[in-house]
Amino acid sequence: MRFRAKIVDVACLNHFTRVINTIAKLAKTCTLRLTVDKLYFILTDKVANGGVSMWCELSQGNFFDEFQMEGVAAEHNEIYLELTPENLSRALKTAQNAKTVKIKLTNKHCPCLTVAVELPSLSTSSRIVTHDIPVGVIPRRLWNDFREPSVPDFDVSIYLPVLKTMKSVVERMKNLSNCIVLEANLNGEMNLKIETDLVSVTTHFKGLGNPPWVSEDGSQSSTQDRDPESMAEARIDIRKLLQLLAGQQVNPTKALCNIVSKRIVHFILLHEEVSLQYFIPALA
Amino acid sequence: MKCVIGGSHLRVFGRAIHAIARISDEFWFDPNEKGLALRSVNSSRSAYACVFFSSMFFQHYCWTAEPELCRKKRQLPLMCKLVMKSVLPVFRCLNTLERNVEKCNIYTNVNECHITFKLFCKHGIVKTHNLAFHESEPLQAVFSRHMCPNVLKIQSRLLTDIMIHFPTCQEEVTVAVTPMKVCFKSYTEEEIDFSKTMHTKIHLNPDEFDYFQIGVDSEVTFCLKELRGLLAFAEATSATVSIHFDVSGKPIAFSIEDMMVEASFVLATLADIENRESSQQSLCLSQRQKRPTLMKAHAHNAENVSNNSADNDDNTETIASKKPCWTGRAHSNTESPVECSKPLSKGDIIPIISKKDVNLEVLDMSAAGDIKIVEEVEPSYSNQYKFHSLFFGAVSFKEQDVISHTLHSLATASDVEDDVDNEQLSQVV
Repeated sequence: MRFRAKIVDVACLNHFTRVINTIAKLAKTCTLRLTVDKLYFILTDKVANGGVSMWCELSQGNFFDEFQMEGVAAEHNEIYLELTPENLSRALKTAQNAKTVKIKLTNKHCPCLTVAVELPSLSTSSRIVTHDIPVGVIPRRLWNDFREPSVPDFDVSIYLPVLKTMKSVVERMKNLSNCIVLEANLNGEMNLKIETDLVSVTTHFKGLGNPPWVSEDGSQSSTQDRDPESMAEARIDIRKLLQLLAGQQVNPTKALCNIVSKRIVHFILLHEEVSLQYFIPALA
Repeated sequence: MKCVIGGSHLRVFGRAIHAIARISDEFWFDPNEKGLALRSVNSSRSAYACVFFSSMFFQHYCWTAEPELCRKKRQLPLMCKLVMKSVLPVFRCLNTLERNVEKCNIYTNVNECHITFKLFCKHGIVKTHNLAFHESEPLQAVFSRHMCPNVLKIQSRLLTDIMIHFPTCQEEVTVAVTPMKVCFKSYTEEEIDFSKTMHTKIHLNPDEFDYFQIGVDSEVTFCLKELRGLLAFAEATSATVSIHFDVSGKPIAFSIEDMMVEASFVLATLADIENRESSQQSLCLSQRQKRPTLMKAHAHNAENVSNNSADNDDNTETIASKKPCWTGRAHSNTESPVECSKPLSKGDIIPIISKKDVNLEVLDMSAAGDIKIVEEVEPSYSNQYKFHSLFFGAVSFKEQDVISHTLHSLATASDVEDDVDNEQLSQVV
């Protein structure tokens, strides 16, 4: 198993750092899957994670100047690592004006992801900062746990409002209640509601637009039969929603969510180089 | 004592307070003839900070209420310890301080145990803070920088740039040097699982230092948290930071020197017990207090005590002279008191040997010059490493009971004052 990658471009480094920062806000530990073309940050929907799951995909070519990977075996040319993204985030934080950043898989008293940052310095040779981030190698027999989640059979799919606005609304609601109801319909309307004994607050968003989905067999999706006014709703933990909205630094070009009534909300944040999917299950 | 700090210097003074606040919750306000020293020691006695403002720093500086005393006699030192919680709010917001305050008067009222900080602000506003102090003899680390084989000098900006790579929660940092290279790395205790924590290493070229002298290859581990106070202060003064150190176990000193201000942080370093040969010396601190009986008895030694500057690192000869006294017993396990042939004079450093199996020994002191040394009891650690604490001058003139199993430090010790006035001794404090 070998892995070596290098970033030389400042903009790429910046972007990569922002993705890592976003992941760090969403998960304490997660799985990093390396393939020849892509990097994936995966969080499975275990109870320990509170039922949320995450799937983040990056095309390595968009970030790395050099990328060499040799998986566990020829037929299974992939590497699965368990890591704490916060560590990676910290390592990259002070590397923003680096000449190069190299990331490689090493084995120093335990498997590590070593981030070597070459910084400009006044002297002849550069200053080198190395961070050894301990990782866990996930054996092949467990790889099945980390398969890409399928898009659920949703009731409504709708574009999200401006994330900043949505975030400030949810932030204020957080002080009043632990759960928030997210409902939307096929007319581009979305409501965020909280309801307690003392107060109920609803914020209405209109004119959001509904993304067109085509199902695999080419036939029209089942949502066509749905009454456009009828709302699909799910009651979710407000802190999980806030984690997503507040932590994200990806600045997606497209942000949408799919609601399976009373079951799960599936958020998709898309960017040319990065795609992030986040699932929040509905509360009972 | 009375002094006036001009508006432009208030920021520096405030920064010094902030820096010292990182070390401890209390500090000594210690004015003397030459200027004002702020000293602090942390609770585990492993860090000492001192910021000394020479009289030039102040618009007006007067050490004693009565001007004649300034010239002729020595005034009794102000034994004043202030609580950081009460002083810090006065200097909390440095930006507003700089903008609004024209000058700050500080004066002491010994009879009522108060120090008054009077801030003259814009628009005729005067803020007066009366802070009570409690009497306490100031302590200072006696550490001879000249004796350190390794000396590095680096721009404060650069040093901050280096330390920024360590996470704020990183407690200890190791600096490893050879004549060819320097490396700062994060340190984790062995008990903590290596596979959980992130390790950071920074490799530097000796070129990056303004001055680079490595006499002995060494690896010393010190507490970064405590250093950060000095780094912030250094950045404000954009000075060069000098680093003096030796092998592991010996203290490391970070200092800044300017025309008007000198700041010095002396930190204990982790000692590698396994590699210890003979006596390991921890930092010794002596109390700056009068020691009339000693002075009387050893009036002839008065010359030995050179003029003590604020950081008192000129006792190198006394260190050297003390060594032979102690190496002999480094390996012994006896409890018999040891007599030092050469009597101690004021400001002597008492090397304290910390060794795993040595029991606490307390020696009685008599007029002839026996020294009472208190050594630390070290329970046998399964852990190989321990921090050497900085010991305070554990010299006493009175007979003391043997106290075992406790870390002893303070005993009434003599002053380390500038002039030795043999005929006229002020009353015993």
